[in-house]
Amino acid sequence: MKWRLLIWSFLYCFATEAQGIDPDLWRIKQRMDSILQFSANLKLNVDISFINMPAKYARMNYTKGKPVKFSSEDFVMIPKRGLDFSLNSLMEFPFITVPRGEVARNGKKYKAINIIPTDNRADFSIALLLLDLQHNRVAETEINTKKDGTYNLLLQYENSSKILPEQVEVNFEIEKIRIPLNFMGKDTDIDRKKMRSEGPKSGKIFLQISNYQIRY
Amino acid sequence: MKALIHAELYKLLRQSKTWYALAALLLIEGVILFSAYFQGKNILDILLDNLKRSFYFEGSLLNGNLLVYLILNTLWFHLPLILMIIVSGSLTAEYKDRTLQTMLLQPVSKWKFILSKYLVAIGFTLAVVGLLAITSFALSYSLFGKGDLIVYINTLNFFPSGDAFVRLQYAFASGALSMIFFSVSSLTLAVIFREATKTWIVSALFLILSNLLLKVDFGNNIFNRIFFAKLNDTWQNFFYFNINWTMVYTNSLLLCGYSLLFMAIGIVLFHKKDIG
Repeated sequence: MKWRLLIWSFLYCFATEAQGIDPDLWRIKQRMDSILQFSANLKLNVDISFINMPAKYARMNYTKGKPVKFSSEDFVMIPKRGLDFSLNSLMEFPFITVPRGEVARNGKKYKAINIIPTDNRADFSIALLLLDLQHNRVAETEINTKKDGTYNLLLQYENSSKILPEQVEVNFEIEKIRIPLNFMGKDTDIDRKKMRSEGPKSGKIFLQISNYQIRY
Repeated sequence: MKALIHAELYKLLRQSKTWYALAALLLIEGVILFSAYFQGKNILDILLDNLKRSFYFEGSLLNGNLLVYLILNTLWFHLPLILMIIVSGSLTAEYKDRTLQTMLLQPVSKWKFILSKYLVAIGFTLAVVGLLAITSFALSYSLFGKGDLIVYINTLNFFPSGDAFVRLQYAFASGALSMIFFSVSSLTLAVIFREATKTWIVSALFLILSNLLLKVDFGNNIFNRIFFAKLNDTWQNFFYFNINWTMVYTNSLLLCGYSLLFMAIGIVLFHKKDIG
């Protein structure tokens, strides 16, 4: 009986440890947390089949512990995911991490881990992160949200020492809208159900981030 | 000819109904502006509904440029109606008051007389469209500010404020050609029917049919392209992301051609018909 209890205790401790926070992720998170504040210029290019929009410019401001703020003289569409470099939105509520081995991208190997929230308040069900252990930063993220579909983020850095990305490609699902021609004209009814009948489409946003001003 | 044009212009500006019409147009414009403001909110809500899932928005799309675009959509029905009443009235009133006979007792050529009426009608139409363009921009920008314009024509098109302003000006210019067509055709109808009420009814019918036929697919691409009713939507071409200038030029030339044709028919009929 004592042996059995001992074995169960060992297995429980092992399992808890295995489902704790990945130390590499934790290290990257701590590196990100060393940034107290940053601001940068943002150039947004939208690639969605049913949207024609010229490049837009904005300024982004981040203060640790607060949501990222954007300001622009233009009308800009900021993707809901992709600009939280601090990983705060993924780690806001309790979670576990599950290692998924190594994944190769463009000849480089990255550590893949899943983040699975254990709290219902989290707005995503699972996230996959590819960690660049050599440079202590995130290379790619795939977030399956509960309400807003899947987001895939590809992050590119100016050089090996940079902590914040210079280019971010955000891939996401979006529903096609269908509105009759001259929708703004007279005698035109708008059928919302019909508008959404085509199903989801994929969209991309290319973010170019420059002129970082970082305070540690 | 110059004296005839001056005389026609004088008569047009002297008659009270011209000023009533202008006042009515400005009133309509004001009403459209405010209804467009509330309509705009609803339209933006629908257009951006599914984008809200993926994006945060920074900046407002409910601005002067959107409101001018909404005004344009509504204006192209009300404006020709009032223009047709005023322009055709400039001839039917002369038939009714018999001033036409007095006028033509003078050494005045019939075709020059009617041509001067057509030229004044065209000038008046351009002036009214110009006035409405200026007041639309002034009112919309002063009350609701500038900003990006969003238009849905097959795709969601976003135009930066400066670009939107230029496109809206082009749209007014293109719309002016349609207005000239309707003004000219109403004067031709006045030559045919002579009597004010009959002319107005036929003119209104002509305008309504043109609007209805605009949306009809005749099953023949060439006919769909060159039929006059289809050309009155040319201004919408300026709100495609890439403007099809060939289509704009072709449609504009065709519309000018139709206006000249209607004018020629009117001049010939007036010249042939007995004034009495």
